[in-house]
Amino acid sequence: MSEKPHVLVAEDNQLVCDAMKVLFGETGHRVSVAGHVAEIVDIAESDPVDLLLLDLGLADGDGFEVLASLSAQGIKPRVIVALTGRDEPEIVARCKEAGCAAVLLKPVPTRELLSMTAALLAAS
Amino acid sequence: MPRLDQSAPVTLSQNVPADTRSTSVEAQLRQALDRIAELEARDTLKTQFLANISHDLRTPLTAVITHAEILRDGILGPLSDRQIDSISGIISGGRQLLEQVGEILTYARGAANQLTITWTQFQLTDVLAQLTALNESLASKKGVRLEAELPDDLDLVTADREKIAHIVGNLLGNAIDFTPNGGRVWVRASKCKGPHGEECIVEVGDTGIGIDGSHHELVFREFAQVDSSASRQHHGTGLGLTIARKLAELHGGRIWLESELGQGSRFYFTIPYPS
Repeated sequence: MSEKPHVLVAEDNQLVCDAMKVLFGETGHRVSVAGHVAEIVDIAESDPVDLLLLDLGLADGDGFEVLASLSAQGIKPRVIVALTGRDEPEIVARCKEAGCAAVLLKPVPTRELLSMTAALLAAS
Repeated sequence: MPRLDQSAPVTLSQNVPADTRSTSVEAQLRQALDRIAELEARDTLKTQFLANISHDLRTPLTAVITHAEILRDGILGPLSDRQIDSISGIISGGRQLLEQVGEILTYARGAANQLTITWTQFQLTDVLAQLTALNESLASKKGVRLEAELPDDLDLVTADREKIAHIVGNLLGNAIDFTPNGGRVWVRASKCKGPHGEECIVEVGDTGIGIDGSHHELVFREFAQVDSSASRQHHGTGLGLTIARKLAELHGGRIWLESELGQGSRFYFTIPYPS
Protein backbone atom coordinates (compact mmCIF):
# COMPACT_ATOMS: atom_id res chain seq x y z
CA MET A 1 0.00 0.00 0.00
CA SER A 2 1.46 3.35 -1.00
CA GLU A 3 -0.54 5.52 1.41
CA LYS A 4 -0.31 5.12 5.15
CA PRO A 5 -3.53 3.90 6.80
CA HIS A 6 -5.39 6.67 8.61
CA VAL A 7 -5.89 5.88 12.30
CA LEU A 8 -8.32 8.04 14.26
CA VAL A 9 -7.79 7.81 18.02
CA ALA A 10 -11.05 8.81 19.72
CA GLU A 11 -9.99 9.32 23.29
CA ASP A 12 -10.43 12.18 25.73
CA ASN A 13 -7.38 11.57 27.88
CA GLN A 14 -4.35 13.43 26.58
CA LEU A 15 -1.88 10.96 28.11
CA VAL A 16 -3.45 8.01 26.32
CA CYS A 17 -3.79 10.01 23.08
CA ASP A 18 -0.08 10.81 23.17
CA ALA A 19 0.83 7.18 23.73
CA MET A 20 -1.37 5.99 20.85
CA LYS A 21 -0.01 8.73 18.60
CA VAL A 22 3.53 7.52 19.20
CA LEU A 23 2.60 3.84 18.88
CA PHE A 24 0.73 4.10 15.58
CA GLY A 25 2.65 7.08 14.19
CA GLU A 26 5.96 5.28 14.59
CA THR A 27 4.69 2.06 13.03
CA GLY A 28 3.61 3.30 9.60
CA HIS A 29 0.23 4.91 10.24
CA ARG A 30 -1.11 8.44 9.83
CA VAL A 31 -2.72 9.42 13.13
CA SER A 32 -5.46 11.88 14.09
CA VAL A 33 -6.71 12.30 17.63
CA ALA A 34 -9.96 13.74 18.96
CA GLY A 35 -11.76 13.62 22.28
CA HIS A 36 -15.19 15.14 21.56
CA VAL A 37 -18.04 13.43 19.74
CA ALA A 38 -18.59 16.18 17.12
CA GLU A 39 -14.86 16.52 16.47
CA ILE A 40 -14.49 12.77 15.93
CA VAL A 41 -17.39 12.69 13.48
CA ASP A 42 -16.03 15.78 11.62
CA ILE A 43 -12.62 14.18 11.15
CA ALA A 44 -14.13 10.89 10.00
CA GLU A 45 -16.28 12.77 7.48
CA SER A 46 -13.50 14.88 6.00
CA ASP A 47 -10.71 12.31 6.02
CA PRO A 48 -11.81 8.67 5.53
CA VAL A 49 -10.74 6.54 8.46
CA ASP A 50 -9.12 3.14 8.04
CA LEU A 51 -8.98 2.35 11.74
CA LEU A 52 -11.10 3.99 14.42
CA LEU A 53 -9.79 3.32 17.92
CA LEU A 54 -12.76 4.29 19.99
CA ASP A 55 -12.72 4.90 23.72
CA LEU A 56 -16.19 4.45 25.14
CA GLY A 57 -15.91 7.30 27.64
CA LEU A 58 -15.43 10.65 25.89
CA ALA A 59 -15.31 14.25 27.05
CA ASP A 60 -18.87 15.11 26.06
CA GLY A 61 -20.58 11.79 25.56
CA ASP A 62 -19.81 8.17 24.91
CA GLY A 63 -18.51 6.02 22.11
CA PHE A 64 -21.98 4.78 21.25
CA GLU A 65 -23.01 8.35 20.34
CA VAL A 66 -20.08 8.48 17.93
CA LEU A 67 -21.14 5.19 16.34
CA ALA A 68 -24.75 6.39 16.05
CA SER A 69 -23.70 9.71 14.45
CA LEU A 70 -21.35 8.02 12.00
CA SER A 71 -24.03 5.54 11.03
CA ALA A 72 -26.66 8.31 10.65
CA GLN A 73 -24.36 10.17 8.26
CA GLY A 74 -23.39 7.07 6.32
CA ILE A 75 -19.73 7.31 7.39
CA LYS A 76 -18.07 3.93 7.66
CA PRO A 77 -14.53 3.56 9.00
CA ARG A 78 -12.97 0.39 7.52
CA VAL A 79 -12.33 -1.08 10.97
CA ILE A 80 -13.64 0.01 14.36
CA VAL A 81 -12.00 -1.24 17.54
CA ALA A 82 -13.41 -0.24 20.91
CA LEU A 83 -10.89 0.33 23.69
CA THR A 84 -12.49 0.38 27.07
CA GLY A 85 -11.78 0.25 30.76
CA ARG A 86 -14.95 -1.76 31.33
CA ASP A 87 -15.33 -5.33 30.13
CA GLU A 88 -18.88 -6.08 31.25
CA PRO A 89 -20.46 -8.57 28.84
CA GLU A 90 -23.35 -6.24 28.03
CA ILE A 91 -20.95 -3.48 26.95
CA VAL A 92 -19.01 -5.89 24.76
CA ALA A 93 -22.27 -7.10 23.18
CA ARG A 94 -23.45 -3.52 22.52
CA CYS A 95 -20.14 -2.64 20.85
CA LYS A 96 -20.27 -5.69 18.58
CA GLU A 97 -23.86 -4.90 17.68
CA ALA A 98 -22.86 -1.32 16.80
CA GLY A 99 -20.24 -2.53 14.32
CA CYS A 100 -17.01 -2.86 16.34
CA ALA A 101 -14.74 -5.58 15.01
CA ALA A 102 -13.17 -6.03 18.44
CA VAL A 103 -13.59 -4.79 21.98
CA LEU A 104 -10.35 -4.61 23.94
CA LEU A 105 -9.75 -3.90 27.60
CA LYS A 106 -7.23 -1.14 28.23
CA PRO A 107 -4.34 -1.29 28.35
CA VAL A 108 -3.96 -3.75 25.51
CA PRO A 109 -0.37 -4.97 25.21
CA THR A 110 1.08 -2.92 22.34
CA ARG A 111 2.30 -5.94 20.37
CA GLU A 112 -1.17 -7.46 20.55
CA LEU A 113 -2.83 -4.17 19.57
CA LEU A 114 -0.55 -3.68 16.56
CA SER A 115 -0.85 -7.25 15.31
CA MET A 116 -4.59 -7.41 15.82
CA THR A 117 -5.32 -4.09 14.10
CA ALA A 118 -2.96 -5.01 11.22
CA ALA A 119 -4.84 -8.29 10.74
CA LEU A 120 -8.24 -6.56 10.86
CA LEU A 121 -7.10 -3.94 8.34
CA ALA A 122 -5.69 -6.62 6.04
CA ALA A 123 -8.96 -8.55 6.21
CA SER A 124 -11.20 -5.53 5.60
CA MET B 1 -24.26 16.66 56.17
CA PRO B 2 -23.87 16.99 59.97
CA ARG B 3 -20.65 15.70 61.34
CA LEU B 4 -21.03 12.30 62.99
CA ASP B 5 -19.29 11.66 66.29
CA GLN B 6 -18.20 8.10 65.56
CA SER B 7 -16.38 7.77 68.87
CA ALA B 8 -19.62 8.04 70.86
CA PRO B 9 -21.06 4.59 71.48
CA VAL B 10 -24.76 4.13 70.91
CA THR B 11 -26.12 2.68 74.19
CA LEU B 12 -29.47 2.60 75.89
CA SER B 13 -29.02 4.16 79.31
CA GLN B 14 -30.39 2.35 82.34
CA ASN B 15 -29.74 5.25 84.75
CA VAL B 16 -32.79 7.36 84.11
CA PRO B 17 -36.00 7.73 86.13
CA ALA B 18 -38.68 5.17 85.22
CA ASP B 19 -41.21 7.79 84.05
CA THR B 20 -38.83 9.31 81.56
CA ARG B 21 -37.15 6.04 80.54
CA SER B 22 -39.51 5.11 77.70
CA THR B 23 -39.25 8.57 76.08
CA SER B 24 -35.52 8.51 76.51
CA VAL B 25 -35.24 5.01 75.08
CA GLU B 26 -37.35 6.03 72.11
CA ALA B 27 -35.17 9.10 71.54
CA GLN B 28 -32.01 7.03 71.72
CA LEU B 29 -33.47 4.43 69.42
CA ARG B 30 -34.36 7.13 66.89
CA GLN B 31 -30.87 8.53 67.21
CA ALA B 32 -29.37 5.07 66.68
CA LEU B 33 -31.54 4.48 63.60
CA ASP B 34 -30.51 7.87 62.22
CA ARG B 35 -26.89 6.95 62.74
CA ILE B 36 -27.34 3.60 61.02
CA ALA B 37 -29.00 5.33 58.07
CA GLU B 38 -26.17 7.83 57.86
CA LEU B 39 -23.50 5.15 58.08
CA GLU B 40 -25.24 3.17 55.34
CA ALA B 41 -25.32 6.28 53.17
CA ARG B 42 -21.62 6.82 53.81
CA ASP B 43 -20.89 3.19 53.00
CA THR B 44 -22.67 3.57 49.67
CA LEU B 45 -20.65 6.71 48.94
CA LYS B 46 -17.43 4.89 49.83
CA THR B 47 -18.29 2.03 47.48
CA GLN B 48 -19.11 4.46 44.68
CA PHE B 49 -15.87 6.33 45.33
CA LEU B 50 -13.90 3.07 45.12
CA ALA B 51 -15.57 2.18 41.83
CA ASN B 52 -14.92 5.65 40.37
CA ILE B 53 -11.35 6.00 41.54
CA SER B 54 -10.32 2.54 40.41
CA HIS B 55 -11.84 3.19 36.98
CA ASP B 56 -10.06 6.52 36.73
CA LEU B 57 -6.73 5.04 37.84
CA ARG B 58 -6.72 2.71 34.82
CA THR B 59 -6.39 5.59 32.34
CA PRO B 60 -3.03 7.07 33.40
CA LEU B 61 -1.76 3.54 33.98
CA THR B 62 -2.65 2.74 30.39
CA ALA B 63 -0.47 5.63 29.22
CA VAL B 64 2.45 4.58 31.45
CA ILE B 65 2.37 0.96 30.31
CA THR B 66 1.87 1.80 26.62
CA HIS B 67 4.82 4.22 26.54
CA ALA B 68 7.00 1.69 28.33
CA GLU B 69 6.05 -1.05 25.86
CA ILE B 70 6.80 1.26 22.92
CA LEU B 71 10.30 1.75 24.33
CA ARG B 72 10.79 -1.95 25.20
CA ASP B 73 9.80 -3.06 21.70
CA GLY B 74 12.35 -0.75 20.11
CA ILE B 75 9.69 1.23 18.21
CA LEU B 76 11.64 4.43 18.96
CA GLY B 77 15.03 2.83 18.35
CA PRO B 78 17.11 -0.01 19.73
CA LEU B 79 17.89 -0.27 23.44
CA SER B 80 20.54 -2.16 25.36
CA ASP B 81 19.58 -5.35 27.21
CA ARG B 82 19.95 -3.56 30.54
CA GLN B 83 17.62 -0.79 29.39
CA ILE B 84 15.09 -3.37 28.20
CA ASP B 85 15.28 -5.17 31.57
CA SER B 86 14.65 -1.93 33.40
CA ILE B 87 11.71 -0.98 31.21
CA SER B 88 10.30 -4.51 31.56
CA GLY B 89 10.31 -3.86 35.31
CA ILE B 90 8.18 -0.73 34.79
CA ILE B 91 5.75 -2.75 32.67
CA SER B 92 5.50 -5.60 35.22
CA GLY B 93 4.95 -3.15 38.05
CA GLY B 94 2.36 -1.26 36.06
CA ARG B 95 0.46 -4.43 35.16
CA GLN B 96 0.55 -5.64 38.77
CA LEU B 97 -0.85 -2.31 39.91
CA LEU B 98 -3.50 -2.55 37.23
CA GLU B 99 -4.56 -5.99 38.46
CA GLN B 100 -4.91 -4.66 41.98
CA VAL B 101 -6.96 -1.71 40.76
CA GLY B 102 -9.12 -4.22 38.87
CA GLU B 103 -9.68 -6.17 42.10
CA ILE B 104 -10.82 -3.02 43.91
CA LEU B 105 -13.18 -2.25 41.04
CA THR B 106 -14.65 -5.78 41.12
CA TYR B 107 -15.04 -5.56 44.89
CA ALA B 108 -16.78 -2.18 44.65
CA ARG B 109 -19.14 -3.46 41.95
CA GLY B 110 -19.87 -6.53 44.05
CA ALA B 111 -20.57 -4.41 47.15
CA ALA B 112 -22.92 -2.22 45.10
CA ASN B 113 -24.61 -5.32 43.60
CA GLN B 114 -23.52 -4.25 40.14
CA LEU B 115 -21.93 -7.55 39.11
CA THR B 116 -23.90 -9.55 36.59
CA ILE B 117 -23.50 -13.17 35.61
CA THR B 118 -23.32 -14.20 31.96
CA TRP B 119 -24.44 -17.83 32.00
CA THR B 120 -22.86 -20.20 29.52
CA GLN B 121 -22.20 -23.93 29.46
CA PHE B 122 -18.56 -24.93 29.50
CA GLN B 123 -16.11 -27.58 30.55
CA LEU B 124 -14.79 -26.53 33.95
CA THR B 125 -11.70 -28.73 33.69
CA ASP B 126 -10.57 -26.66 30.64
CA VAL B 127 -10.67 -23.50 32.77
CA LEU B 128 -8.85 -25.21 35.66
CA ALA B 129 -6.16 -26.59 33.34
CA GLN B 130 -5.71 -23.17 31.74
CA LEU B 131 -5.33 -21.43 35.11
CA THR B 132 -2.93 -24.07 36.35
CA ALA B 133 -0.78 -23.50 33.25
CA LEU B 134 -0.99 -19.71 33.74
CA ASN B 135 0.24 -19.98 37.33
CA GLU B 136 2.98 -22.50 36.56
CA SER B 137 5.76 -19.94 36.21
CA LEU B 138 4.74 -18.13 39.42
CA ALA B 139 4.77 -21.44 41.32
CA SER B 140 8.08 -22.59 39.90
CA LYS B 141 9.70 -19.22 40.74
CA LYS B 142 8.70 -19.87 44.37
CA GLY B 143 9.85 -23.49 44.24
CA VAL B 144 6.28 -24.72 44.72
CA ARG B 145 4.94 -27.79 42.88
CA LEU B 146 1.60 -27.09 41.19
CA GLU B 147 -0.64 -30.02 40.29
CA ALA B 148 -4.07 -30.35 38.68
CA GLU B 149 -6.01 -33.55 39.35
CA LEU B 150 -8.90 -33.26 36.94
CA PRO B 151 -11.41 -35.94 35.97
CA ASP B 152 -12.06 -36.68 32.27
CA ASP B 153 -15.80 -37.14 32.68
CA LEU B 154 -17.00 -34.05 34.58
CA ASP B 155 -20.37 -32.78 33.27
CA LEU B 156 -20.44 -29.31 31.70
CA VAL B 157 -21.21 -26.57 34.23
CA THR B 158 -23.55 -23.62 33.64
CA ALA B 159 -21.86 -20.51 35.00
CA ASP B 160 -19.98 -17.33 34.08
CA ARG B 161 -16.69 -18.61 32.70
CA GLU B 162 -14.71 -15.43 33.41
CA LYS B 163 -15.99 -15.13 36.96
CA ILE B 164 -15.29 -18.78 37.75
CA ALA B 165 -11.77 -18.25 36.38
CA HIS B 166 -11.51 -15.18 38.65
CA ILE B 167 -12.39 -17.27 41.74
CA VAL B 168 -9.90 -20.00 40.86
CA GLY B 169 -7.22 -17.43 39.97
CA ASN B 170 -7.59 -15.74 43.36
CA LEU B 171 -7.52 -19.05 45.27
CA LEU B 172 -4.50 -20.30 43.33
CA GLY B 173 -2.66 -16.99 43.72
CA ASN B 174 -3.19 -17.09 47.49
CA ALA B 175 -2.21 -20.76 47.76
CA ILE B 176 1.06 -20.16 45.92
CA ASP B 177 1.72 -16.94 47.83
CA PHE B 178 1.30 -18.56 51.25
CA THR B 179 3.18 -21.79 50.49
CA PRO B 180 6.92 -21.78 51.14
CA ASN B 181 9.62 -23.18 48.89
CA GLY B 182 9.41 -26.96 48.53
CA GLY B 183 5.64 -27.02 49.12
CA ARG B 184 2.77 -28.23 46.97
CA VAL B 185 -0.40 -26.62 45.61
CA TRP B 186 -3.15 -28.60 43.91
CA VAL B 187 -6.46 -28.13 42.13
CA ARG B 188 -9.17 -30.81 42.06
CA ALA B 189 -12.72 -30.93 40.79
CA SER B 190 -15.51 -33.46 41.18
CA LYS B 191 -19.25 -33.84 41.05
CA CYS B 192 -21.06 -34.48 44.30
CA LYS B 193 -24.39 -34.28 46.08
CA GLY B 194 -24.96 -30.91 47.78
CA PRO B 195 -27.70 -29.73 50.15
CA HIS B 196 -29.87 -28.59 47.22
CA GLY B 197 -28.97 -31.12 44.54
CA GLU B 198 -25.95 -32.02 42.46
CA GLU B 199 -23.05 -29.64 42.32
CA CYS B 200 -19.53 -29.38 41.08
CA ILE B 201 -16.99 -28.93 43.85
CA VAL B 202 -13.59 -27.35 43.24
CA GLU B 203 -10.74 -27.71 45.74
CA VAL B 204 -7.61 -25.56 45.82
CA GLY B 205 -5.25 -26.90 48.45
CA ASP B 206 -1.75 -26.19 49.64
CA THR B 207 0.87 -27.33 52.13
CA GLY B 208 1.46 -23.73 53.21
CA ILE B 209 1.35 -21.91 56.52
CA GLY B 210 -2.31 -22.70 57.23
CA ILE B 211 -4.98 -20.65 58.99
CA ASP B 212 -6.13 -21.02 62.58
CA GLY B 213 -9.77 -22.07 62.97
CA SER B 214 -10.68 -18.80 64.70
CA HIS B 215 -9.77 -16.93 61.50
CA HIS B 216 -11.69 -19.03 58.99
CA GLU B 217 -14.53 -16.52 58.67
CA LEU B 218 -12.25 -13.48 58.93
CA VAL B 219 -10.29 -14.33 55.78
CA PHE B 220 -13.40 -13.82 53.65
CA ARG B 221 -13.92 -10.30 55.01
CA GLU B 222 -12.72 -7.37 52.95
CA PHE B 223 -9.18 -6.05 53.43
CA ALA B 224 -8.35 -8.93 55.83
CA GLN B 225 -5.07 -10.70 56.27
CA VAL B 226 -5.05 -12.74 59.41
CA ASP B 227 -2.04 -11.16 61.06
CA SER B 228 0.17 -8.18 60.48
CA SER B 229 3.30 -10.26 59.94
CA ALA B 230 1.48 -12.07 57.11
CA SER B 231 0.44 -8.78 55.52
CA ARG B 232 4.02 -7.55 55.63
CA GLN B 233 5.21 -10.57 53.68
CA HIS B 234 2.24 -10.99 51.35
CA HIS B 235 1.15 -8.00 49.38
CA GLY B 236 -2.22 -7.53 47.86
CA THR B 237 -5.46 -5.71 48.23
CA GLY B 238 -6.80 -8.17 50.82
CA LEU B 239 -9.89 -8.48 48.66
CA GLY B 240 -9.21 -11.74 46.80
CA LEU B 241 -11.25 -14.03 49.05
CA THR B 242 -14.03 -11.46 49.57
CA ILE B 243 -14.40 -11.29 45.79
CA ALA B 244 -14.19 -15.09 45.47
CA ARG B 245 -17.01 -15.48 47.99
CA LYS B 246 -19.17 -12.85 46.29
CA LEU B 247 -18.68 -14.48 42.88
CA ALA B 248 -19.37 -18.00 44.22
CA GLU B 249 -22.55 -16.78 45.92
CA LEU B 250 -23.71 -14.98 42.78
CA HIS B 251 -23.67 -18.44 41.14
CA GLY B 252 -25.73 -19.89 43.99
CA GLY B 253 -22.65 -21.72 45.24
CA ARG B 254 -20.81 -21.87 48.56
CA ILE B 255 -17.20 -21.27 49.52
CA TRP B 256 -15.35 -22.39 52.65
CA LEU B 257 -12.04 -23.64 53.90
CA GLU B 258 -10.50 -26.41 55.98
CA SER B 259 -7.24 -25.52 57.62
CA GLU B 260 -5.17 -25.49 60.76
CA LEU B 261 -2.13 -23.43 61.53
CA GLY B 262 0.94 -25.15 60.09
CA GLN B 263 -1.17 -27.81 58.33
CA GLY B 264 -1.82 -26.16 54.98
CA SER B 265 -5.22 -25.05 53.69
CA ARG B 266 -7.93 -26.46 51.45
CA PHE B 267 -10.38 -23.97 49.97
CA TYR B 268 -13.55 -25.32 48.37
CA PHE B 269 -16.28 -23.75 46.29
CA THR B 270 -19.29 -25.20 44.56
CA ILE B 271 -21.15 -24.54 41.34
CA PRO B 272 -24.68 -25.97 41.46
CA TYR B 273 -25.83 -28.07 38.49
CA PRO B 274 -29.22 -26.95 37.14
CA SER B 275 -31.91 -29.26 38.56
